[in-house]
Amino acid sequence: MNEVKKSLFAGVAVAIAAGMVFVGSAARDRIDLGQRYADNSPLAGQTLLATRDNSQEVPEGDYFYEMSELLKREYVEPITDPQKLATGAVRGMVGSLGDPDSIYMDKDEFAIFQNQRNGLYEGIGADLDLDLAGGPKTKPGEKKSVHGVQPTGEDPQEAASYFPRVPKVTVVAIAPGGPADKAGVKVGDVAYSIDDHWVMNGPELQKFRLAQLAFGAKKLSLPELNVLRKDMRAKLERALMPLKAKNRLETGKSGGMTVIWLRNGQKVSTQLSRGTAQMSIASPKGYVLKFDSKAATGLKQAIAGKTEVTIDLRNNSQGDYSAMRECLAVVAPTGNYGVLQSDRKDKPEPLLVSKGNAHPPTITLVVDRSTRKVAEIFALALSSHFRAKIVGGPTGDDRVVQEVVPLPDGSGYTLNVGTYKTSATPTTVAVKGGSRIE
Amino acid sequence: MNKALKAITVGAGLAACFAFGYGWRDIQHGQAPSARSISALLGVSSSSTSLSPEQVFKQNYNRILTTYTRQLSPTDLKYAGMEGLLASLGDPHTIFMPPKAAEEFHDETMANFFGVGARLGPDQLGAKVAVVFEDGPAYTAGLRAGNIITAVDGKSVVGKDIDTIVRTIKGKEGTYVHLTVIQTGKDKPAAITVRRGRIITPTVTGKYLEDTKVGFLSIESFSEPTAAQFDKELAKLEQHDMRGLVIDLRENPGGLLETAKDLLSRFVENKVVVTMRFRDGQEETERTYGGSLHNFKYPIVILMNEDSASAAEIFAGALKDYGKVTLVGNHSYGKASVQNVFTLVDQASAKITIARYYLPSGRFIGRKVDEDGVFLTGGLEPDVKVDLSFDVEPTYGDPKSDSQLRKALDVITGGAPR
Repeated sequence: MNEVKKSLFAGVAVAIAAGMVFVGSAARDRIDLGQRYADNSPLAGQTLLATRDNSQEVPEGDYFYEMSELLKREYVEPITDPQKLATGAVRGMVGSLGDPDSIYMDKDEFAIFQNQRNGLYEGIGADLDLDLAGGPKTKPGEKKSVHGVQPTGEDPQEAASYFPRVPKVTVVAIAPGGPADKAGVKVGDVAYSIDDHWVMNGPELQKFRLAQLAFGAKKLSLPELNVLRKDMRAKLERALMPLKAKNRLETGKSGGMTVIWLRNGQKVSTQLSRGTAQMSIASPKGYVLKFDSKAATGLKQAIAGKTEVTIDLRNNSQGDYSAMRECLAVVAPTGNYGVLQSDRKDKPEPLLVSKGNAHPPTITLVVDRSTRKVAEIFALALSSHFRAKIVGGPTGDDRVVQEVVPLPDGSGYTLNVGTYKTSATPTTVAVKGGSRIE
Repeated sequence: MNKALKAITVGAGLAACFAFGYGWRDIQHGQAPSARSISALLGVSSSSTSLSPEQVFKQNYNRILTTYTRQLSPTDLKYAGMEGLLASLGDPHTIFMPPKAAEEFHDETMANFFGVGARLGPDQLGAKVAVVFEDGPAYTAGLRAGNIITAVDGKSVVGKDIDTIVRTIKGKEGTYVHLTVIQTGKDKPAAITVRRGRIITPTVTGKYLEDTKVGFLSIESFSEPTAAQFDKELAKLEQHDMRGLVIDLRENPGGLLETAKDLLSRFVENKVVVTMRFRDGQEETERTYGGSLHNFKYPIVILMNEDSASAAEIFAGALKDYGKVTLVGNHSYGKASVQNVFTLVDQASAKITIARYYLPSGRFIGRKVDEDGVFLTGGLEPDVKVDLSFDVEPTYGDPKSDSQLRKALDVITGGAPR
């Protein structure tokens, strides 16, 4: 064996050895993390390994395992379903975010949510949102205790002490011909009570708290406070947490309910019968675009050979972010259309169209308050870059991007991964688009 | 021969490299690979189709940590997962406590912490001293109930939240805190320096009600020193002419079963306190001790409400079953289970329901609620039901404003006009 051969051999041996180290490490990843979830992350480029350098006292997997074993040994009843423990842990983590755009849903709720994404509604036939407007939403860098009381939790008494973060259950889209539509419910209505169950309401809790403080400062008499106290106690005894109220309105195909809504500060009572309804537009003013897996193909056909296209984006409050990106590539040239901002990244993730349509038709978008989430992002991305004219409006002002994560037992959750910001200046939008989108 | 040896050496070398790669994550964490991860390697092909609960947890933990819009603390997220894990059992008393909460819980049960030995309430000028514990450091230093603390260590606390003020006053044993205090009758604020020490919080307070000649004992919780404090306060009351005793268990969340047993031994000897039923059907019975019997020569009434729970319900329920007391007020909470606190390596702890308990009469008083969490059944039923009236701002223990206490006094005095 000459020297060249020897060094070659040594090189190969080292490469094989290194290869085995890598294979071993990969095998461990596979075992620890299971099969990688399908990468539908809008913030693509993240890998699971990103968390490997977190030094923790007890690795989370071992912690979970030890805790499950402790329960199996000690809990008063036998643990029959260990998967339930995992789902419970996920629910706990999602709940700890205290974010109305990151919500855990049990099996039934998640099935209803998936149907809604396909346009099929039950309950009152409307899309409801947990709206924290006016409250402290997700301020960048805000340090929140994950152990604090969650506004979407189960205990009304505890939530009462947490009023600023109680979201409003707000109607954001109504299925034409559905129960809510028939009963005269309007977009923007806020659920105040359902069958005499008061829906937890931040401003009212705050008012009561202020009255208590006024009494403490001797600015309010005891009889006056007692009137409020009696009223608040009666309300709290039959209070519905916002998330529960939302579920109650969105669930069920039969039976009636009385719902009182807040509309422009006035209480409006409605009689509703549950049923099924299709989310659509009563009289569409153009091509109806739904951001699902077939959206891009359909849009391509719709614009084929045309120089002018009108797209109706009303009643469009649920959609898939990656489907929207594909649609953007169909009607917009290659370029940068804004950013997804989150406070966890040094650099926001750009909304890029890498293989766009160099010669798109002139596009008009029809929007209103029921144009939300990815539909709103689509409208804003196009209009702020002079790629579309906006008709109607203003839009729903909700540009949060959510991931939808299914879990093995049929439940699932949404995860807020960022908020869309246009790279153009708001003034330009207003002038060009002629609507108050920003 | 030589060839075979070479092949074995090469094979072993490759295996070693694989093992190194496999264990790399553990080496990064500065620990040896666990036996569990090694056994998982051997079973890798069979477990890859469906995810184990642990894998489901880890996947989602990683996803939330890396993709959520806000930066999260990995430790806090892990703890939130553990809270959810225990909550998934649907038992409100099986809970996870992160290290800080675990420490507070421990302090509460032990009823001793380090501080100055005073209880504070909010005040426009800072904090108003509500109670100064007898023989505590604050008492020795001259702090009295009614004083108003306006500054701590030279810094004004005017307009500060009461919890914040308490936190600044608390501290390590042996250190000093300087308080600026307004005392009635003095025109200048006084400077009081208190040496922080170990505090034993009083859980029992006694009060002799002159008008009715009835003793009033309020038990705040069943902590370590409660039985001794009960004896001390009772002895003070019994120096008076006593026609009856009211034991106030309202808002008493319970505490240690041992303390309830200890206290019950003043009333009954060698009697069943509770029967606990564990997961394997095994039963365990707790009995009162002999030799601690106290001679109560007067009728006893227990005041309770929906916030009387756990050890408080065992105490009241056992006394009721043995015909020693009359229960007055509202139904109690209905917590009929026993928890054990498991301390974990990182000082977090898990409080886990390990048994259900039955009162001496065999009754089970577990709370039942409807889907909205509204109370349906459970708890101890009062013999005389009476709501607390809010017509005047009620102060517990004051017969003038405490309507439930008034009813209790009526029961003792036979409803005779006072």
